Amino acid sequence: MAAPELDSDVLIVGSGASGAAAAWSLSRRGLRVTCLEQGRWVDPSDYAHSRPDYELARQTSFAKDPNVRSWAEDYPINNSGTPIHPLMVNAVGGSTVHWSGHFPRMRPSDFRVKTLDGVADDWPFTYWDLEPFYDLNDSMVGVSGLAGDPGNPPRSPRQTPPLAFDAGCEAYLRGLEKLGWHWWPSDNALISEPFGDNRSPCNCCGPCDIGCPIGAMSSAHVTYWPKALAQGVQLITHARVEQITVDRAGRATGALYYDEQGVRQSHSAGVVVMAANGVGTPRLLLNSTSALYPNGLANNSGIVGAYLMFHPVALVSGVFEEAVNGQRGPIGGLMNCQEFYETDVSRGFVRGFELQLSRNVGPLSVANGGILGYPVPWGNGHHEALRSRYAHTMTTSVMLEDLPERQNRVTLDSELTDAHGIPAPRVEYRLGKNTQRMLEFGIARARDLFEAAEAVEILVDPLVRESGWHLMGTCRMGNDPDTSVINGWGQAHECPNLFVIDGSTFTTSAAVNPTSTIQAIALRCADWLGRNYREVVE
Amino acid sequence: MTAQFLTPEELALLSLVQNELVPSYGDLPPAGTLGAALTVDAYLAEQPRLRRPVLTTLRAIEVRAGKTPFAELDSGRRVEVLRKLENADPESFSELVKQTYNAYYTRPDVQASLGIDGPPQPMGFKLPAFDESRLARVRAMGKLWRDA
Ligand SMILES: Cc1cc2nc3c(=O)[nH]c(=O)nc-3n(C[C@H](O)[C@H](O)[C@H](O)COP(=O)(O)OP(=O)(O)OC[C@H]3O[C@@H](n4cnc5c(N)ncnc54)[C@H](O)[C@@H]3O)c2cc1C
Ligand code: SF4
Repeated sequence: MAAPELDSDVLIVGSGASGAAAAWSLSRRGLRVTCLEQGRWVDPSDYAHSRPDYELARQTSFAKDPNVRSWAEDYPINNSGTPIHPLMVNAVGGSTVHWSGHFPRMRPSDFRVKTLDGVADDWPFTYWDLEPFYDLNDSMVGVSGLAGDPGNPPRSPRQTPPLAFDAGCEAYLRGLEKLGWHWWPSDNALISEPFGDNRSPCNCCGPCDIGCPIGAMSSAHVTYWPKALAQGVQLITHARVEQITVDRAGRATGALYYDEQGVRQSHSAGVVVMAANGVGTPRLLLNSTSALYPNGLANNSGIVGAYLMFHPVALVSGVFEEAVNGQRGPIGGLMNCQEFYETDVSRGFVRGFELQLSRNVGPLSVANGGILGYPVPWGNGHHEALRSRYAHTMTTSVMLEDLPERQNRVTLDSELTDAHGIPAPRVEYRLGKNTQRMLEFGIARARDLFEAAEAVEILVDPLVRESGWHLMGTCRMGNDPDTSVINGWGQAHECPNLFVIDGSTFTTSAAVNPTSTIQAIALRCADWLGRNYREVVE
Repeated sequence: MTAQFLTPEELALLSLVQNELVPSYGDLPPAGTLGAALTVDAYLAEQPRLRRPVLTTLRAIEVRAGKTPFAELDSGRRVEVLRKLENADPESFSELVKQTYNAYYTRPDVQASLGIDGPPQPMGFKLPAFDESRLARVRAMGKLWRDA
């Protein structure tokens, strides 16, 4: 335990996917844990699913881009330097409050990119080191899916069975079988049968991207938070952290934050754990300057904020003659195809991608352009065009590995601030050559798939602007303090009682959605911190 | 019901425009006749950021229409005016179209015409169970991942 005069043993900043998992794990060991979260609990009445105008929520209250949504709890992001806009939710549960819940794991080769393919860096641990924490996390959140995928190492039985096999799956399968490609029903962070407390199994209503009103989606506010609170964690909402404070020896002492009334408060703790996501964490560290850290906390290396990775995404839709009813069933994870996942240099690039075979949206979103942004023309012929797409379209994401590049980064904007006057982040990002080649190749393969599946029309968005779902790499892990911010336990090289456990920890991005890995990392780091707390604070 | 934001003239003009944007379909009258203008008016009252593009478009319509008021043009001529406007200021025009679609496709009667019998919750949908036998070929592919 830390000295009793401290407010907490551990202070966690951010209550999202990683912060929630760590709060649960650390409090299990009897540590006094406090979490500061700038957002609020989403009120059940906020969900729009029971209203005929539910699709409007995508453009307003549940928009995924915080600059569009503009909740009081959001902070602005300067996106002028990036073709991909960062997306997030600032609430209890973080960005898992409205997401797609696609929950794949990284493969063993993803952790050894340098050794196997000669690019980027290896992670400071292997898949096998992380595997028990993947399993633990799945057992905590509840995953639907099926073990046995030959594309991945064997894994423990999934908590609930895969969801459904409907007309859309049949359409995809037509193509996949003709081409002889790999596919498997996706692991999803949502429950298809009863699991956990106060949660209902998914009833396939469709629009998970505007939240799940029945608790079927395994979002952090319905999985970890009830358990963490029962273990005594103090969660302070509407608490916007301004900076992490340090003492003269350069050790973290806690945080300064604005409370719900806008009053500046301080909170002291033996250890500070950053879980504010791949944009929020570097923003706060960069804003935490002091005599010992003039460039921001733990940033004498200049690496904080650098090596930002997204998963650049192209979307390809196939329009079918038959009704595929893509608006029914969870929008995100349906099936995935990892035929092109491992490196094959004859393709003209290293590393690989996955084709995420997903569903589609309701009539209003289709009219306004659907997932791809192709509005249905107005005037004569409007109704026929709408009816040929609505309920007849399936959409595949080409999700590819983004290699870390130093110039892709989060910095502090020199002018823009949030409502409390804290500098807003500015994102600078450009697509690397390897990524561009892979995108082209991936789009061509998605076209092949829809052609083989006998789609009558194929629509392509070659780089989706609103696809910064996955925010990674901005406080990267590694063994070398010159090229990384934290070690394999999330501990900052320069500040031993500061930990980072969120998406910013990623050394490389892999080509799959990151959150199962983010939570497994958070659990692994929290487990180590819990066992070594005394040594860390002394 | 009276408009909260638009003038009666603006509301009437918007309604005529909407009738061209989303014409009638089967038994369904066109969007303006269905009342989509009042819904857009409510959006404008709530969301100031929408006002500029919508008002800019409405004002430009009479300018483009020339000597004959838009209301007195036949449908073909109205569409011509709207197409010209769309080419001249696609951004503002597309916002007007978007808000019209928003108003139209959130109506239960329009949704019913598409076979939708209620919002997604609480009923959801019953989908067939996953059939594992479909995986036979893939299972036979053997290990596809690299150990490391
Ligand atoms: C629309 C959408 C769909 C997605 N779909 C998927 C998917 O299908 N599969 C998948 O794996 N991932 C998906 N993601 C990504 C996933 O949500 C994130 O990877 C995950 O939530 C990141 O976890 P995190 O702990 O790093 O941060 P977050 O979950 O984002 O949590 C960060 C928290 O920190 C808080 N915070 C930030 N700054 C401060 C501050 N200054 N003071 C106090 N609190 C602060 C924020 O309010 C937030 O609650 C999706 C994301 C979005 C937006
Ligand atoms: S489809 Fe399932 S998981 Fe998604 S919102 Fe509906 S009930 Fe929730």
